[in-house]
Amino acid sequence: MPHSQHLHTNYANDSRREFLKTSGLGIGALGLGSVLNPNLFATNPAASKQPHFQPRAKHIIYLHMVGAPSQLDLFSHKPELVKRNGQKCPDHMFKGKQLAFIREHPLLLGTRFKFPQHGQGGLHLCEHLPKLGTVADELCLVQSIRTEHFNHAPAQLFQHTGFGRFGRPGIGSWVSYGLGTENKDLPSYVVMITGSVAGAGNSLWGSGFLPTMHQGVEFRSSGDPVLFLSNPKGIGRGDRRELVDGINFLNKQSLADVGDPEIATRIEQYELAFRMQASVPELMDTSRESKDTHAMYGTAAWQGEFCQ
Amino acid sequence: MALLWTAMATESAETKLTDGHWAYQKPVRPALPRTDSDWPRNAIDFFVLHRLETNNLRPSPAASPEQLLRRVHLDLIGLPPSPAVVDAFLANPTDAAYETIVDDLLKSKRYGERWARPWLDLARYADSNGFQADQLRDSWAYRDWVINAFNSGMPFNQFVTEQIAGDMLPSATSAQRVATGFHRTPTCNVEAGVHPEENRVNQVIDRVNTTGTVFLGTTLECAQCHNHKYDPFSIEDYYSIFAFFNNTPLEVKQQGNGVTWNFYGPTMNLPISTEQQTKLKDLNTRKEAAVKRVSELKKAAKTEQLAWEKQTLRALKESPQWTVLAIEKFDATGNPEHELQKDGSILVTGKNPDKSTYTFHAKADLKRITAIRLEALTHPSMNKGGPGRNKAPVENPNFIVNEFQVETGSKMVKFASVKASFSQNHWAVAGSIDNDLKTGWAITPAFGKPAWAIYRLAEPLELKSEAKLKFTIIQNYGGGRTIGRPRLSAIDGNPNALDLPTDIAVILKKTKRTKKDDDTLAKHFLKESPKLKAEEQTITAIDKQIGAIKPASTLVMVEQDRARETHVMLRGQYLSPGDKINPGTPSILHPMKKTLPRNRLGFSKWLTDPTNPLIGRVTVNRWWAEFMGHGIVTTEEDFGTQAEPPTHPQLLDWLAVEFVERGWSMKHIHKLIVMSATYRQSSRVSTELLAKDATNKFYARAPRLRMSAEMVRDNALAISGLLSTKMHGPPIYPPQPSGIWRHVGRNAPKYIAATNEDRFRRGVYVVWRRGAPYVSFMNFDAPDRGACVVRRPRTNTPLQALTLLNDEAYIEMAIAFAGRILNEAKGTPEAKINYAYKTALGRAPRAAEAIYLKKLLLKRRTHFEKNPKEAALLISGAKGWKPPEGMDKGDLAAWFFIANILLNLDETITKS
Repeated sequence: MPHSQHLHTNYANDSRREFLKTSGLGIGALGLGSVLNPNLFATNPAASKQPHFQPRAKHIIYLHMVGAPSQLDLFSHKPELVKRNGQKCPDHMFKGKQLAFIREHPLLLGTRFKFPQHGQGGLHLCEHLPKLGTVADELCLVQSIRTEHFNHAPAQLFQHTGFGRFGRPGIGSWVSYGLGTENKDLPSYVVMITGSVAGAGNSLWGSGFLPTMHQGVEFRSSGDPVLFLSNPKGIGRGDRRELVDGINFLNKQSLADVGDPEIATRIEQYELAFRMQASVPELMDTSRESKDTHAMYGTAAWQGEFCQ
Repeated sequence: MALLWTAMATESAETKLTDGHWAYQKPVRPALPRTDSDWPRNAIDFFVLHRLETNNLRPSPAASPEQLLRRVHLDLIGLPPSPAVVDAFLANPTDAAYETIVDDLLKSKRYGERWARPWLDLARYADSNGFQADQLRDSWAYRDWVINAFNSGMPFNQFVTEQIAGDMLPSATSAQRVATGFHRTPTCNVEAGVHPEENRVNQVIDRVNTTGTVFLGTTLECAQCHNHKYDPFSIEDYYSIFAFFNNTPLEVKQQGNGVTWNFYGPTMNLPISTEQQTKLKDLNTRKEAAVKRVSELKKAAKTEQLAWEKQTLRALKESPQWTVLAIEKFDATGNPEHELQKDGSILVTGKNPDKSTYTFHAKADLKRITAIRLEALTHPSMNKGGPGRNKAPVENPNFIVNEFQVETGSKMVKFASVKASFSQNHWAVAGSIDNDLKTGWAITPAFGKPAWAIYRLAEPLELKSEAKLKFTIIQNYGGGRTIGRPRLSAIDGNPNALDLPTDIAVILKKTKRTKKDDDTLAKHFLKESPKLKAEEQTITAIDKQIGAIKPASTLVMVEQDRARETHVMLRGQYLSPGDKINPGTPSILHPMKKTLPRNRLGFSKWLTDPTNPLIGRVTVNRWWAEFMGHGIVTTEEDFGTQAEPPTHPQLLDWLAVEFVERGWSMKHIHKLIVMSATYRQSSRVSTELLAKDATNKFYARAPRLRMSAEMVRDNALAISGLLSTKMHGPPIYPPQPSGIWRHVGRNAPKYIAATNEDRFRRGVYVVWRRGAPYVSFMNFDAPDRGACVVRRPRTNTPLQALTLLNDEAYIEMAIAFAGRILNEAKGTPEAKINYAYKTALGRAPRAAEAIYLKKLLLKRRTHFEKNPKEAALLISGAKGWKPPEGMDKGDLAAWFFIANILLNLDETITKS
């Protein structure tokens, strides 16, 4: 039996924080499991892969903030627009185009906020982001991405998959496909949702034409955090162990007889599923985090639902 | 200079390569390789054996009869063999018996259902629009058409033509039009502010790309913005195919002038379903009967009318007068003030209690009473003059009489009927004599004028002189809705003419009537007949039900009368039109016959031209992959220059030629495959085979393949005995966790799990909402059907384990399976375990397996004997299945453990 050591690792003792550390879980609307240590067994296609360069990034945290303030009010300094505030929209931006909700000649609207400069690089940021300004030289703002899609769903699809239509892998799926995962106890790509769901829905973390193992697995905020995680009524942890033992005893008979390595993988997946039933609820349980931690993340009810 | 030369050389080398690319040459039937072996059973095996031998491999031994039987069932119908079929075949596992089984399976209705699934992935068939709102749409008739086409053995060229251009065939049948649903499946955005033309262009792009993938195994989409980087297709080629599809109408429509857009596009009404037909027939029968009764009543009415006329005329002549009753005592609960008026009414004034019951004691000056009248009169002291009192903040002077009662000598007087001057909607005056305090008589909005109600007595009330009458008016609604000025009167004469309209009274009194008078009279009599009224209400109700039976509809392709002009779209942008382009086919492929029309129909005929080098190869390759795990060309979606070269080019060509020459018969190719020795090998993976050919590209063994998502569920349903084989119709809603369909947008549909047999029908019928497809299918690698999918991956994940272990649907199946074992297998636990294995895996258990499960069973049985509540809790997890009467719950719960384990086995969800 390959990887038997893996099967017997006891994850029940791992702390939540340890877990987060090893899983490299991003927090936010979309979190991408991170990367970068090719120490897993070769048969697992999700195992992390050695990229063709020496990577420096340790984590990717991707936040998709549905309903957030516009970039024009936060990060994107548009002095010319402010200068022309209240003027009629130039014809070339308007004439002959069908624009949602707009019937008459629209007016231009610049931000009402000041955009002071920060750091040695002189980064312009909205006056209401003074603390962010203190780390301005450590930030990289990409302001070159633009799209003609002005409907929510196609624009979100475009942002996440590069195409305004269905059928393409999301960026998280590409990362999972290209770099794999170090994490043995969670799916390679995990999605967390708080508040409203983006209009394009599940397609943002769909794997498109990539194998579905690279599809984002949704951690839900109500019900089971992962679908089908809880045992059915009348089945306890001991019963479940007995069932998994039974399934894997019989699967091992088949493996011995038939020799298909897929059976070995399935045996491992049942063990992983059993571990996830204990580890995921613990991972999702923030009740034992300290007051300071909660304050730092802003999880109080009045602070909105983002970090809940 | 040197650089330039290299570039040129590369280019010419590439040109040469693509010109000669094998996939663009028409396949020619190759001769069978020679062999001395007696292993081959048909042509397939000669090619496979040849490759094995050149790679120093040998075929595996034949599969056991058990394995072969289960394999061929799963491959052809997607369901396991029943225990009876297993027994029959094991008793006689001959070639002839096998062939009979194959023929039966190919004839089974389940065959079309199983093979529709991969086709619907190609057709990106779903039941919703996709994008933000993702509303449901009806095109399930297309899914049923595919199932029927496969079952009926429709030749594949016809299958293609009808899907691409069924609507354009001469005198197209409705089935042929339904078939065009193939290209009405693309997603459609109806978000506010959508641009209909952009939407339409996207849909046409989807049609072109899907057509390229499905029928040509070509990545045409690469030529949408520029010439194909690898294959010989130019951007002009792309838009000349685009032109064939560029003539359908817009598919989103603005709602009025607003920002709301609706899914639109051509639909077609379907013939009504059998169920609807039965219902309609029943309704029509009932309507006919009612109509007949009406005409009989009308006939009988002629004589009845004469009697009524006499009676009414007499009543008119008697012309009874109302006698106002003299009130001797009046009481009102809540103690408002009151004063007797000169006209005999009581004016209630002062404080207005929330609720009030009025009691009147009156002397009857009449010897006989046939009817009583309650009047609610107006008075300037009331708001708007009344007739009801009102209490702030209630401004309207309404009243509500919950009950009106009359007593004499402590006996309640019975009423026959009641009529009122006016009754408020939902507050009919009949409510004042129904002994129900929740109902009553009210009069909004007839304010400022008197109201009356006439109560006819069931029998005339004979009174002695000095007899007393007691009247009670219960007004319990609250808000001070009471009568401000009540008055009571009575008559002693014939009450029949009391509510007669004046014009009718005039006619009745005439000595000579005109024809018009007769008609008016007859009409009035019929209108007032209670029996006729009832029948007419019945007919109205039936008509409403008949009207509600609407035919279902489906999405179809329709050609516009005037063709659109097609231009090359520069960089693939619809807003950047380039040169005008005519419909046409790529020059690298077979020419389009001059006789063919340059439209979709002509294009479909071009696709199925026997000289098309691609369609036969691409099609048989996909089928081969379904049976064998991967295609002869492993890149099933791409036969271009970047494709993997075929592992068995001659076999591929032989099958492609055979397919076309044998009438484009899918079943013929399927039978050839399952009858081959290649297919009938054992699937055992020896260490040697794993080392020499891990991916089994030479087929030295049969494949072991995890079932598709739908098959995993169908198989478990069949094993559990729950499977319903009901076919066709609107999509079904099996149980899934709540909160999956939580997506945004107007008209958001709700997911309500079926509680009837729809709960247990096959996966091909399960509703497919693109934004949130059936979750357990997603866990087993089902796509979202947003775009054409040729190959589903086969992953092996912990989520699959969790699904089979915990999904309510699978728990229910395991409980039902346990029930089935107890119900159908008799005797010792060993015998039952044996039966369970035969049902789930089509084989007997290995000794170690049987011993293990028996031990677990006995342990569990003891446990549940001691803990019956735990057993009951476990069994209650099956919401759609109930154990038969008398089945021991402890026993059932113990067998659940065995059933659950068997349904979770790798072998159970694997075709081996």
